[in-house]
Amino acid sequence: MSKKIVFIFFLFFGLISYNAIASEADQVNTDSEDFDTTTIEDEIYDPLEPINRAIFSFNNVADRIVLEPIAKGYKKLPSPLQSGINNFLSNLRTPLVVVNQLLQGQGENAVQSSGRFVINSTVGVFGLFDVAEKVGLEEKEEDYGQTLATWGVGDGFYIVLPLFGPSNLRDTSGMVLTMLTDPVNAYAVSEGEAWLVPTRTAVNAVDTRSKIIDEVNALRDNSVDYYAAVRSSYYQNRNAAINNVDDTELTPLPLISIEFE
Amino acid sequence: MKFKLIIIFFIIFISKNLYSDETSDWLKKEIDIILEAYKNENLSNENRFLLVEKTINDNFAGTGIAKFVAGEAWKKSDKNTKKIYIDNFKRHLALNIASMMQGYSDQTYELTKSKYDKKNQVTLIDMEIFSDTGSVIVTWRVKESKDRFFVIDLIVADISLVVTKRSEFNSMLKKVDNNLSKFNEILFEQNQISYNKIAN
Repeated sequence: MSKKIVFIFFLFFGLISYNAIASEADQVNTDSEDFDTTTIEDEIYDPLEPINRAIFSFNNVADRIVLEPIAKGYKKLPSPLQSGINNFLSNLRTPLVVVNQLLQGQGENAVQSSGRFVINSTVGVFGLFDVAEKVGLEEKEEDYGQTLATWGVGDGFYIVLPLFGPSNLRDTSGMVLTMLTDPVNAYAVSEGEAWLVPTRTAVNAVDTRSKIIDEVNALRDNSVDYYAAVRSSYYQNRNAAINNVDDTELTPLPLISIEFE
Repeated sequence: MKFKLIIIFFIIFISKNLYSDETSDWLKKEIDIILEAYKNENLSNENRFLLVEKTINDNFAGTGIAKFVAGEAWKKSDKNTKKIYIDNFKRHLALNIASMMQGYSDQTYELTKSKYDKKNQVTLIDMEIFSDTGSVIVTWRVKESKDRFFVIDLIVADISLVVTKRSEFNSMLKKVDNNLSKFNEILFEQNQISYNKIAN
């Protein structure tokens, strides 16, 4: 029996069973154990919640009236220009990515990222074009927060930073380290062009925000507790970044069992 | 003996691939229904959402997810409260997914990878959505039961919709002492706000 015939056979029976029991689709049971399959929300230590919520509200207003409108405007720029800005900013981050890869013992990744930096800074015209991606050198992000986590430093408590958004004690320390050791920022300051530092941060924020306009709006418009939703999202995203594994393997799997009543 | 082993191996290999193909085909069909609804300009916003909601309710393990995200509050509640909660949750889930999928409606996509997680008996299907400036990966977690497939979770940028909802609901449920009846009022109100945004 050829693969095609078997497929048609399965599809046929799939369709029949689909129609036969479609009305039962919503009648699903779970086991009591299903409620205990993840404790991710209980692992988030948030002793500053009242203060964090106040800062979060402020950030939310700032996002609505400043960042989101600018990000929407930015998204109207020609795609090659947006890609160019994104590539340029990403290339500027690469030296610190290499440092963090070395600190985490990722020698091979560090070599690849260094290769990316050299190729994109030269052939890619100061990083405006991601030529390295085309020759198989994929972009990988690492920061001090991830490095500290790899060294066994715990999250610490959850913290919402004014304008910078969700973080925790470890990642905030990582962010400060980034600010202090970034060679591009250090060069700009040494050349008397300190204004470039906040400008770079602001453009980075707009570029990042422009990529998640729909996702953020979907979350914000449909959450019963937007603060808790963002907090959970932050931790899931960071855990995935720290562990450098396939997202589908890492994200806690809610073991929802399905049985027809 | 060797020949028999090869045959068995071949059959297992073929059926495993067929299973993944079948799941992906099913998922593609359902995703297309949702995305086509957004492209159909003849549909009013309200009818478009109702069509999307029906597709989601038919294909998501809504009740199972509802119970999961309610956590401890579920056990303490009576049958009628649970029923109201499940109805509220299903609408909430549909509003969340519809709102997210709306943003992807004018973009092309491809189901790029399908993997069967034998341990958890779940199929993981990666959907790559392309835009002019890059792409985003959405992973669908699909579980089979009685010859039917059910989506049990959706992951965007390493963030699980179900885990996020559970965290969000737990936070709100703590404020009402895990009283599902009181939570129903909050959820209903939120659904009304979201529905008005998406349907008008």
